[in-house]
Amino acid sequence: MATATGTRTEILISGFGGQGVVRMGQILGLCAINQGHRVTMLKSHGTETRGGYVRAQLVISPEYVDSPVVEHADVFVAFSQPAYKKFYDLCDGTVMYDPELFENVVDDAPERHLAVPATKLSKEKFSNQLFANRIMLGALTRVASLDYEAMRKAMLEVIPRFHEQNLAALDFGYRLS
Amino acid sequence: MATLTVSTRVGLVAPWVEWEKRCTDGRRLLEAGTYALTEGAIAAGCRVFAGYPITPATDIAEYMSKRLPQVGGYYVQSEDELAGMHACAGASLGGLKAMTATSGPGYTLMHDAYGWSITNEIPMVVVDAMRVGPISGITGAPGQGEFYIARYASHGGNFETIVLSPSSVQEAFWLTIDAFNLAERFRTPVTILTDQVISDMWEDLFIPADYDALDFVIPRKHNLMMPFYPVGSADLDVPPNLIGRGTGVCVSAYTHTEEGYDIEDMAAQWAQTYRLINKIRHHTDQLARYETLGLEDAEVVAVAYGANARTVKTGVLEARRRGVKAGFVRPITLWPFLDELYERDCRYVVCELNYDGQLVREVMRAAPDKKKVHFMGKSAELHTVAEVAAGLEGVARSNRVPELPYIWTEVR
Repeated sequence: MATATGTRTEILISGFGGQGVVRMGQILGLCAINQGHRVTMLKSHGTETRGGYVRAQLVISPEYVDSPVVEHADVFVAFSQPAYKKFYDLCDGTVMYDPELFENVVDDAPERHLAVPATKLSKEKFSNQLFANRIMLGALTRVASLDYEAMRKAMLEVIPRFHEQNLAALDFGYRLS
Repeated sequence: MATLTVSTRVGLVAPWVEWEKRCTDGRRLLEAGTYALTEGAIAAGCRVFAGYPITPATDIAEYMSKRLPQVGGYYVQSEDELAGMHACAGASLGGLKAMTATSGPGYTLMHDAYGWSITNEIPMVVVDAMRVGPISGITGAPGQGEFYIARYASHGGNFETIVLSPSSVQEAFWLTIDAFNLAERFRTPVTILTDQVISDMWEDLFIPADYDALDFVIPRKHNLMMPFYPVGSADLDVPPNLIGRGTGVCVSAYTHTEEGYDIEDMAAQWAQTYRLINKIRHHTDQLARYETLGLEDAEVVAVAYGANARTVKTGVLEARRRGVKAGFVRPITLWPFLDELYERDCRYVVCELNYDGQLVREVMRAAPDKKKVHFMGKSAELHTVAEVAAGLEGVARSNRVPELPYIWTEVR
C-alpha cells in the first residue's frame, strides 16, 4: 500500500454497531492484501450487534505484523462521540470525523482534525444515510494516499449488492477536497 | 527419555515451516482465525463436527455447518458440549476424523468426554477459544485461564495431554492440520488452546489450492486386530481402533485389558498408565513447537503464547532498541511442557492473560532460579507493546517489573 511512511501503518475505526466499522476495515484490509501487503484487523465489540460500541484496529505492513494492536494510529476514523473520546489518545495522526454525529472535538490540534460530513452528504446525494460509510472510505483513501483503483476493486469484492451506488459514494468521498 | 536441543537463533520450530515452503499454489484471503481453524480441519480430513456454539468459537460451528456437507462430512448441532465431544468420540471410533470447538464455559463440560477419549485412545481435535473468566466473564475479551485445565482435562490423573496454541490466523490453519496429525499418531485428543483474539481477528491467510495434494496430512488408518490397546507400550503410529466392523474392540471407562475389557488389577493399572503417559513422554522431541528470538545474548527473556505473544514480541524488539538485552520465547506446544526452553540462567518475564499466574508457575519450575522469574499478568486485553517494553526494561535495570495499571505481578 502506497502510504506516506511506506512501513507499518495503523488505522483505527470506531463507532456504533451498524455503522459499517468492521466492513470498512474489511475492505481496507482486502485492498492491502491484494496489493501484496500483510494485514491484521482486530475487531472488538460489545454484546449487542446494533447500537453497541465497535472498534476495528488495522495494521498494514510490507512485513509480517507482530503486534496487531493500534497504539499510535496514523489515521483514526471516528463515527461517534463516545468512540472519539475513548480512543483519541491512541492517535498520533489524522482524525477523520463526521460532524453530524459529534457535539464537539478537542481544540488542541485542529490541524490533525478533518471533518467529513459523510452523513449529511449521503442524505443529500442518496436520500438516506446508509452510504455515509462509503463516502468516509473514499475520503480515507485520499487522506491515507491509498490506491483508489485497488480500493474500488476490493470494495466490489466485499460488498455483495448495490455496486453502482457504493461506487458512486466512494467516488464522491474520494473527490472531496 | 527424549531430550530437545533448543536453538538460540531467531526462528520458528514447527512442521509447518517446511509445509509453507512446499505449498505455493493457493489463495491469499483476509479471514478470521475461526475460518482458518475450520479450513485447517477440512484440509486435515476432518469429516465430523459435533458441538454447541459459544462466543468466540461460534463461527467455527457456523463455518463447519457450511463446509462439511460440501466435502461429504457431517455437522451435528448437539444439545450441549458434553454430548458434542462424546459424539466426536463416537465418530472417531466409527472411522472418521472429528473435531469440536468451544470456549471456557463449554470446555468445563467436556471433561467426562476427555476422560473417555484419553483412556480409550480416541483421536480427535478440541478447540478451546479462551475468553476471560471465571465462568462467562466477558464474551468478547481474551483470556488465558485454561492453561492448567487443558493439561488436566479429565479427573483421575494417570495421563498426559497434548495442547497446542497458535498466535496468528495463518498459524491456526497449519497448526490445526498438525493437531490432527498428532491425534492420529498419538491416538489421543489434541487440544488447540486458542483465545478470543486469534479466533476473532482477521488477518492475511494463505490457503492451499488443493487439499488432496497435501502429502503431509496423515490419513486415518484402522486398527482391526488385537491388541486394541497396546498397554505397557509407548509405541507411536498404532492406528486408531475401529468399532462396528466385526473388530470386537471394547470401549470402557474402567481400567482395561488389551482387548478393552474391564479389569481390576494392579498389573493392568500399571500397564495402561504406562501407555497413556509414556506414549507422550517418550516422544516429546516430536512434539516441540516453539518460537525464539534473541536468546544468544538475552539477559531478560519474555515468555508468552497465543495472541499476546504478538504484542510481547514487538515489546521485546522495542526493548532491544532501547539497549536492553531482551529475548523472547513463545511455546506453541503448551503440553507436554517444554522445560528445555527455560534452561538458560537469566531473568524471565512471563506475560499471560490471567491474574492468578499459570504459565509463570511452570516457568518457575523449569528455570534454573525461580526467583529470577517475574510475572506480568493481564486480563481481558492484550499486553501493550509499551507495557512489555517497560516491564523488560524494569527487570533488566532494577530486577523488578514497574507498577503499571492493570498489570498483576504477585504470583503467591
